[in-house]
Amino acid sequence: MSLLEVRDLTISFGSKKVVDCISFTLEKGARIGLIGESGSGKSMTSLAIMGLLPDTATISGSITFEGQELIGLSDREHSRLRGNRIGMVFQEPLTALNPLMRIGKQIAGPLMIHKGSSLKEGLKKALELCTKVGLPDPDRILRAYPHQLSGGQRQRIGLAIALACEPALLIADEPTTALDVTVQREVLNLINALVDKEGSSLIFVTHDLPVVSAMTENVAVMQLGKIVENASVASLFHEPAHEYSRRLISAARLAEDSFSGKGGQL
Amino acid sequence: MRKAMKGNVSLIAGSIMVSITFALLILSFIWTPYDPLAVNPEDSFAGVSMRHILGADKIGRDILSQIIVGSRVTLFVAALAVTVAMTLGVSAGILIAVASRRYQSPMIYAVNIALAFPAALLAIILAAVYGASTITAVTAIGLATAAAVAQVTRRTAHGILASDYVLAAHASGASTWRIIRKHVMPNLRASLLIQASAAVSVSVLAESSLSYLGLGTPPPAPSWGRMLAGSQQYLFVNPLLAIWPGIAIVIVVLGFNLVGDGVREVFDPTLRRSDS
Ligand SMILES: Nc1ncnc2c1ncn2[C@@H]1O[C@H](COP(=O)(O)OP(=O)(O)O)[C@@H](O)[C@H]1O
Ligand SMILES: [Mg+2]
Repeated sequence: MSLLEVRDLTISFGSKKVVDCISFTLEKGARIGLIGESGSGKSMTSLAIMGLLPDTATISGSITFEGQELIGLSDREHSRLRGNRIGMVFQEPLTALNPLMRIGKQIAGPLMIHKGSSLKEGLKKALELCTKVGLPDPDRILRAYPHQLSGGQRQRIGLAIALACEPALLIADEPTTALDVTVQREVLNLINALVDKEGSSLIFVTHDLPVVSAMTENVAVMQLGKIVENASVASLFHEPAHEYSRRLISAARLAEDSFSGKGGQL
Repeated sequence: MRKAMKGNVSLIAGSIMVSITFALLILSFIWTPYDPLAVNPEDSFAGVSMRHILGADKIGRDILSQIIVGSRVTLFVAALAVTVAMTLGVSAGILIAVASRRYQSPMIYAVNIALAFPAALLAIILAAVYGASTITAVTAIGLATAAAVAQVTRRTAHGILASDYVLAAHASGASTWRIIRKHVMPNLRASLLIQASAAVSVSVLAESSLSYLGLGTPPPAPSWGRMLAGSQQYLFVNPLLAIWPGIAIVIVVLGFNLVGDGVREVFDPTLRRSDS
């Protein structure tokens, strides 16, 4: 049985289909990249799996996770999976953290919700998690507020929150888009290392082909809500089947050329 | 607190005015120059003098003593009314903000109707049924102010609920109740403080108007609104009689308004960043 099976998933707002009959499967421990330009429906796909679509959206098709159908699941039951079996990292590491809550409490949150930890136990675990995501001086970090940390540090916190309950699936929705290139590299390496170590599956969402090539072997290319190509990263680079994929690659080459003068990131 | 005060003119001026009012309230239990209700026919319309610092009214009651004791009714009614308004308004506002879309619009509609309903009208109805009293005044002012609080709270809570960090909290599996407690309430705090101070101003003004109209605390307990009403007949002969309670009302209303403004400045997110 696959860990996650998405069949004919369709999401619309009124008559506008933003995700159009997409299907993919993800085995336990496997990774998939979702790539496509902004507005192609990547985030809506991620949110559908989390059960967090805006309530104006209508959804059809099927999403099974660990053998359980998620579409039509009550919010209460869905929330038992969120942050527990499925973790999610968001694009904006600043706005995804509560500005008035200390970091320690925010990391302890999922543990208190799902594992019945007390605040004290949660904070103790948060300390370990901080070290795990490579944050120096975790004692200070736990007492800090989000605005006192750098973008890269915040995204590491986001990762610590998402991985707190050791989820079977991690969804990272453009986790490095808001970061500087050098920090981007560090966070990607961290995600790689942690997902390997925990044996989680990964859905990595991005609009950036070089980024996805550093993260996953297989990618699904999305355009206007449809998956237009499903391929390994290597074959996508060498023989892109779809016109849109070819455009993504030439855009990536262009970016690489303009970077190479400065030492070529990624 | 000292840091918050620095350079914050509104907060400083407001705090001073609010302190004056509370000083009057405390003083009213300790000392007044005269018994505020003592009638002294020979002092009728006594002017400002050493004997009566702020003068005396028609039947010779000392104005200063009445102003001091009048602070009790004003602040008591305002405190109760604001408690009612904040409790009802904040719960209703949050409830509406988290309600599913189907129930949201009728509830917003109900709040808008309540908003259009002035405190005075409500007070007249309540007074007609139960007789004018402190309780009817508190109820009328509290309910009318609650509608305004509910409206602002709903809007602010709506913005918080649409934020990324609430989405992220949902993604961590947090329940609606947990999100209200851990995310909505703390982030509402600044707005609630501002609303509470504005609500005090509104309530003081409303209490004075109701007393002025004879819909508040009944005589003989002195109240600033009723002092104002009583002085109106003699406005041209003896304008000072109207000016003293007028000044008292202005100080409280302005004081709490300024504190609200000052608090807004303290919590302004563009100023907050700098404390890291
Ligand atoms: N609440 C909403 N109401 C209507 N349309 C929406 C809403 N949220 C997103 N959309 C639309 O859905 C489409 C896909 O959005 P999204 O999945 O966020 O794209 P991306 O691939 O950039 O993550 C976009 O065209 C966007 O305008
Ligand atoms: Mg997106």
